[in-house]
Amino acid sequence: MKAKLLIAAAVFLPVMALGLPAGLLAQETPTATPLEMRHFWHVFVAYTFAWILLFGWVVSILKRFRRVEEKLN
Amino acid sequence: MSLRSIRQSVLILGFLGVSLTLLFHWMVFFWVSTEATLGISQRIFYIHVAGMWTGMLAFIVVAVCSAMYLWLRDDRLDQIGRAAAEGGLVFFAVGLTAGPLWARLAWGTWWTWEPRLTLSLLAWFIYIGYLLVRGATENPEKGKTFAAVIGVIAAVNIPLIHVSVLWFRSLHPEPVVVRQDGPALPPDMLITMLTALLAWTILLFALVLLRYGAARLEARAEELALDQGTTT
Repeated sequence: MKAKLLIAAAVFLPVMALGLPAGLLAQETPTATPLEMRHFWHVFVAYTFAWILLFGWVVSILKRFRRVEEKLN
Repeated sequence: MSLRSIRQSVLILGFLGVSLTLLFHWMVFFWVSTEATLGISQRIFYIHVAGMWTGMLAFIVVAVCSAMYLWLRDDRLDQIGRAAAEGGLVFFAVGLTAGPLWARLAWGTWWTWEPRLTLSLLAWFIYIGYLLVRGATENPEKGKTFAAVIGVIAAVNIPLIHVSVLWFRSLHPEPVVVRQDGPALPPDMLITMLTALLAWTILLFALVLLRYGAARLEARAEELALDQGTTT
């Protein structure tokens, strides 16, 4: 299960990271000013950090399951 | 609740939560209109509010479970409370990091010690204390009791965080969704916001159930180890 989750994270996070600038810039003017780029980076960091935290928590729970399984075996 | 029903609930809620989360991300990046004054950075608002909301909801679950644990002394209530506290800390951390990232652009500073921000940070540290206090006592039952007392007292802070912007002079914007005269957001932003709230609320319950399932399994493994110890 952990391996599946890591694969999902490995696919999902780069897609989010690559899709995010395209989506944001598509809604903005074609030539983004340095200030707009700074806004973009803040949005990128906020969403990326949110996903890292959530995935981190899920992985920590799955590690607990593995430890208990080992104990039971 | 058996381990099998926990597993089924986690799968259903997890699928629903992740699907709605993907939908709200699509809405945030491709559908919702860009706010005129703040521009792109306003999109941080959706995860900031959703993170704080789910965090507070989790802390309310902690308070209810803690109060019931003190009354009934049922270990399962303590396990749910602990799982909810972990979830609350994670989602609150999302809100607490997204906020300064927006504030730097809107206010020109990462952080200011104004009432809502200070009370939110205080809440986060209190729930870290809720988790740490368990290991601070030699008797685990005593640790659970101390944690439950903290869980109940800490709940006083939750409504204070919400009303702090109304009661005190504050730099933080006033509520835009939960207001006496209705939401003050354009329809597309409101729909995106509500989708985000629903998505992360479901995701929170799915992950809290998953964490609770792990705690139940750990407890069972300990019981089995004790049984083996007494029979040999």
